[in-house]
Amino acid sequence: MTFLALTNVRKVFPNATTPAVDDFNLSVQRGEFVSFLGPSGCGKTTTLRMVAGFEHPTAGAITIDGRDITGVRPNQRNIGMVFQSYALFPNMTVADNIGFGLKVKGASKAEIKQRVAEMLSLIKLEQLGGRYPYQLSGGQQQRVALARALAIRPQLLLLDEPLSALDAKIRVSLRNEIRAIQRQLGITTIYVTHDQEEALSLSDRVVVMNAGVIEQIGAPFEVYNFPKTAFVASFVGTLNIFEARVSDPAAGVLQLSAATILVSPSHLSGRRAGEAVKVAMRPEMIHVKSTGAADENRLTGVVENVAFLGAVARIHLRVGEMTVLVDEFNNPHLAVPAVGSALTCYFAREGCIVLA
Amino acid sequence: MSQRAGWFAWLIFMIGALYFVLPLFGTFVFSLQKVRGSIGFSAYTAAFANPDFLRTFLFSSLIAVLTIVASLALIVPTAFWVNLRMPRWRGVVEFITLLPFVIPAIVLVFGVIRTYGKPLTLFGIPLLPPLLNTELSTNIVLVAAYTVLSLPYMYRATDNGLRAMDVRTLAEAAQSLGASWVTVLMRVILPNLRTALLSGALLTFAIVIGEYTIAAFLARPMFGPYLQLQVRNRAYEAAALTIVAFALTWLAMGIIDLITRQRSTPLTGGR
Repeated sequence: MTFLALTNVRKVFPNATTPAVDDFNLSVQRGEFVSFLGPSGCGKTTTLRMVAGFEHPTAGAITIDGRDITGVRPNQRNIGMVFQSYALFPNMTVADNIGFGLKVKGASKAEIKQRVAEMLSLIKLEQLGGRYPYQLSGGQQQRVALARALAIRPQLLLLDEPLSALDAKIRVSLRNEIRAIQRQLGITTIYVTHDQEEALSLSDRVVVMNAGVIEQIGAPFEVYNFPKTAFVASFVGTLNIFEARVSDPAAGVLQLSAATILVSPSHLSGRRAGEAVKVAMRPEMIHVKSTGAADENRLTGVVENVAFLGAVARIHLRVGEMTVLVDEFNNPHLAVPAVGSALTCYFAREGCIVLA
Repeated sequence: MSQRAGWFAWLIFMIGALYFVLPLFGTFVFSLQKVRGSIGFSAYTAAFANPDFLRTFLFSSLIAVLTIVASLALIVPTAFWVNLRMPRWRGVVEFITLLPFVIPAIVLVFGVIRTYGKPLTLFGIPLLPPLLNTELSTNIVLVAAYTVLSLPYMYRATDNGLRAMDVRTLAEAAQSLGASWVTVLMRVILPNLRTALLSGALLTFAIVIGEYTIAAFLARPMFGPYLQLQVRNRAYEAAALTIVAFALTWLAMGIIDLITRQRSTPLTGGR
């Protein structure tokens, strides 16, 4: 059953020529974790702020649990929000910050004390209730911000790029913590990020946005492996995209500038011979050693560069006018090809995506 | 080259410092010479013994406190709203608050006398009786005039304080937790503006204590006109009071500095 629904939501800021958000439709189930993913200026934060009540939609409606909240003031929505800059109140201790929402709602001192203790325990900062925000690290401050948002028992939790200001290692540990807490409480959550890894690793579903509109909504696996548009394909993960021409749609034959390749014929249904298309393939789907009969495609070129990225070595292979990125998973016996050497790479037709 | 430039900068600084300190030092030395042929604090004793000193000083202090209250009530919500909702109006508001720097106090006080010295009407409809007819209403006009004079200091201090914190996000965070605008202002914004407001308040206090023009033309028993009267009739006591006034101003500045240093921790950001 739909818990949060955004219907035909549109936002045009005063003096703007194009809408910041347009024709936004989304249904979120109770307890679901949905991420808004997209580049800066794509409208993801504006959409989140409309749900929070800080921006008013130019058109459309927002409902929570069947109740229209489009015109309801932010302080009457009972929605918890976590901000990128933490937004902890500098004049209050950690405990006072967490208890602020309850105090505003007129809860008794005993009730506030009990809930603050619960929240401190939830974020594992039981000993730091008496400290001020400036005495905490960035990661600790953001955990306090999360506890403060959850203390009021919100019906919905919104997180606006909460990990962007933190360093890489803390980001990973805190995002796991956020997901664990969300699962534990079963709270419906909307998470805004421009970090695809964050969105893919955390979410039940990802909403990929660009230029104010939704490009694709789907589970992380679906969005990564079956992008519906060229934008999603290029924004989510690393991708090789090449211009191609359809040679034989029934056999799935495509002509690239420097080679002929095979793709699944189903990808070319409705295409005509000679039609220009874009074909994409993930670097990890291409191998420097053939893995068997499935690797029907091969490209031979010269190694331009090899970048060691930790888990993978990324080989930049020059094939005619094209540069093909090939990811080889790291292992202690990995033979990294020398720059300037000739190399043949292989990939299966199933690894190729023909973009709309 | 840079060493020569450093010496030159020091030279300019020393000339400036001497230009400022020498008259003050001369006044101080003069204030100690009330009794011919000896050095002592008899001018200070005489100045403090004068009942008019305490009376005018207390009255000026009261007016200063009332001015601070009026300024805070006017400036804090205005600066808060400009920062939060109307940043495009920042330039206009800053221009208005700087007007007391370009409009001399004498012009301001004549405007006040012409406007409020007679019944205020709009298209023949009486709006206000003459406000300068009674002591109470004149004092109200005085506080209003000083509130205008304090605008540049109070607005600047408040605006700086607001800019030092992320007002918008703090306000939104409080709202998402159920706080109304009044709660946001009273429990979140004001407590974090304490240092900035104190700075503005102390500057306002110093200005009101030493102000002469408006007080004299509105004929109020303020410390400024009293000091001027002393200069005319009792030169040594006037010199002593000038030094005392300077000391009070410096004390105010010292308090600002102390409080600012004590609260030098960042308003946002982490360790």
